[in-house]
Amino acid sequence: MEDLAIKILGAVLTTIMAFTVGMFYGGFVRKLTARVQNRRGPVVYQNFIDLLKLQSKTTNIAHGFMHHMAPIWMIIASLTTLMFLPILNGNLWFPNISFHGDLIFLLYMMVFGSLGMALGAGQTGNPNSAIGVTRGLSQMVGFEIPFVMSLIALMIQYKTTSIQDIMIAQNESGIWNMFSNPFAFLAALFAMFGMFRYSPFDIVGAPAELASGPVSEFGGKYLGTMMTANSIFSFFKLTLYVNLFMAGAGNINDVGIVATLIAIVILLIKTFALYMVPVFYGWVSPRYRTEQAIRYFWAWPSALGLIGIVWALI
Amino acid sequence: MTITENNIKQPIGEYIQNWARKHSLFVLAYGTGCGAIEIPPTMTSRYDAERFGIRGAATPRQADVLLITGYLATKSLKRVIRVYEQMQDPKYVIAFGSCTINGGMYYDSYNTINALDRYIPVDVYINGCMPRPEAVISGFVELQKQIASGNAYNATKYKENLEWYRENQKKIIKNWRMPDYNW
Amino acid sequence: MDNLQIENNILETIKTAFKVEGKVVREKRVEITAHKQLISSILLFAKNQHNYIHLNHITCVDWIEDGEFEINYIIWSPTTKNTLIIKTRISRENAQMENIDNIWDQANTYEREMREMYGIEFPGLIGEHEFILEDWDEMPPMRRDFDTLEYATKTFYQRPGREDAKDVREELTKQSGEEIPEFAKKYSREK
Repeated sequence: MEDLAIKILGAVLTTIMAFTVGMFYGGFVRKLTARVQNRRGPVVYQNFIDLLKLQSKTTNIAHGFMHHMAPIWMIIASLTTLMFLPILNGNLWFPNISFHGDLIFLLYMMVFGSLGMALGAGQTGNPNSAIGVTRGLSQMVGFEIPFVMSLIALMIQYKTTSIQDIMIAQNESGIWNMFSNPFAFLAALFAMFGMFRYSPFDIVGAPAELASGPVSEFGGKYLGTMMTANSIFSFFKLTLYVNLFMAGAGNINDVGIVATLIAIVILLIKTFALYMVPVFYGWVSPRYRTEQAIRYFWAWPSALGLIGIVWALI
Repeated sequence: MTITENNIKQPIGEYIQNWARKHSLFVLAYGTGCGAIEIPPTMTSRYDAERFGIRGAATPRQADVLLITGYLATKSLKRVIRVYEQMQDPKYVIAFGSCTINGGMYYDSYNTINALDRYIPVDVYINGCMPRPEAVISGFVELQKQIASGNAYNATKYKENLEWYRENQKKIIKNWRMPDYNW
Repeated sequence: MDNLQIENNILETIKTAFKVEGKVVREKRVEITAHKQLISSILLFAKNQHNYIHLNHITCVDWIEDGEFEINYIIWSPTTKNTLIIKTRISRENAQMENIDNIWDQANTYEREMREMYGIEFPGLIGEHEFILEDWDEMPPMRRDFDTLEYATKTFYQRPGREDAKDVREELTKQSGEEIPEFAKKYSREK
């Protein structure tokens, strides 16, 4: 009974942490982008203000059941993926529903939110949404290939499909996967550009010509829910990458509060450093067209993924 | 429980909501007039409206503020009304430039409207031809003051006086084939 | 006048072929005034014989004092880089002009605009009657006898506060001591 209570409490804690960190990262990116463009920029907690404002909108238009469900679907997908992800390695407070094969499971679950989004956007009947969904799914087909290839390389390397096992193996050997299999890491990193949809891969939102694409008919509370889901999901993606390639939050098995805090700080540093890669790349890149983006993903990143698999086999 | 700021009493929930609304304005710039050229400098690094939480929105569904930049032809008035009715409450309108106030240099033109507040409720007028980005930002700050004081309820007034607004609108848009938006 | 040889040649050939008036305005610009029934033949002749394959513009001028519309066809030749302007006058009453969109497809757009803005009919012109204006049920607005100020006062709500607005033209003439030309006096605000 006590076990269950701690697990539930831990799940709530994980959610709160993912939400806060994801939102703050978004704010940091806005601030940093502003500084790079020689502006003052918004406050760091601007995303929270935006969320509060969106949630205090008094009217919200719904075009139908799927339109109503899409943000809920997204947030469910984000939370589910988050629950299956080991946040800290073997820590009591941040438990996870981990099992052998969760990597494959997460691979499927990760596209779940986008699919819900696609269905919801389809019901709005807005042509921009339809184009945005088409672009988004095409882009997903693009970046999933190098991403899956690099994951397969890891699975071959450690002969397991459990994220926990991969983390433990990295901690035991002391070499992060980004060094032991650099090709797989690079392929996954390129795939990450597509996942985060910063420039040059912001072809889905494309405010200039698509009017923010799939979300163009979502306003008010729907948009706020989506923002929340996106923040949680971006924290999930970063933590997954850190777990797979940078040995998670390190080898801290202590349940004490100090040790947990240290582990969280390590995790935050790693995730933030990783997050800056697509952001930096975005600052200096204009936008690709859809077919250019797919060609990009299927060229060098896929080749690197293939080399990664061969590397793991040798 | 209430909070008093600047001699205005508000329930604390409303105060917080108004604070958030004030600091996060998603702007839909309706830029068919010449004033649209003042929006890029307002948003980019020279004047940087984002430090006030002002941010561009791509669609009316996501927007809070409708920024009408410059003259409105009778043809584009129809689109503005459609856009305005698609926006979600609470929504605000900032009219920009002399043309929206009294027609400006197009006061005797056969196809530009003269007083925008006859057709949609306007919260803040910014005069000038063109208003410079400083003026635009001061208009936004004025709107923020109105929101914080809880007085920016023009959207409600629009719903209450819909008959009057519709009558004026239909005088311009004779062939009224507009979809009904359930605001 | 060596450098105007091409222009003179073109003018001469068109003059001999059609017996029309015309002059060389300046380098690379030839102007021809013709009767409205000759327009399509001149345009075809210029297009086929002199390679004036590009239609720049069709414009209309309202000569209300003469009771006529003037229609100008401006065409351009990429080989000689010459502009040819063909002018014709038509009556303002029941204004009708030949449709030339079988010579240049893009003429359709200009002709629809003229039909809407001046009320000139082009028999056989394909396209909706409503082109730029929406729900317009007054006189074509670009005709000079259409009083825009009166229409605007009637249709739109004039906001008070414009009464002390000054006429720029008059203010400037007061300062410089110039005379306002006779034709401009009727536009004065101080009536």
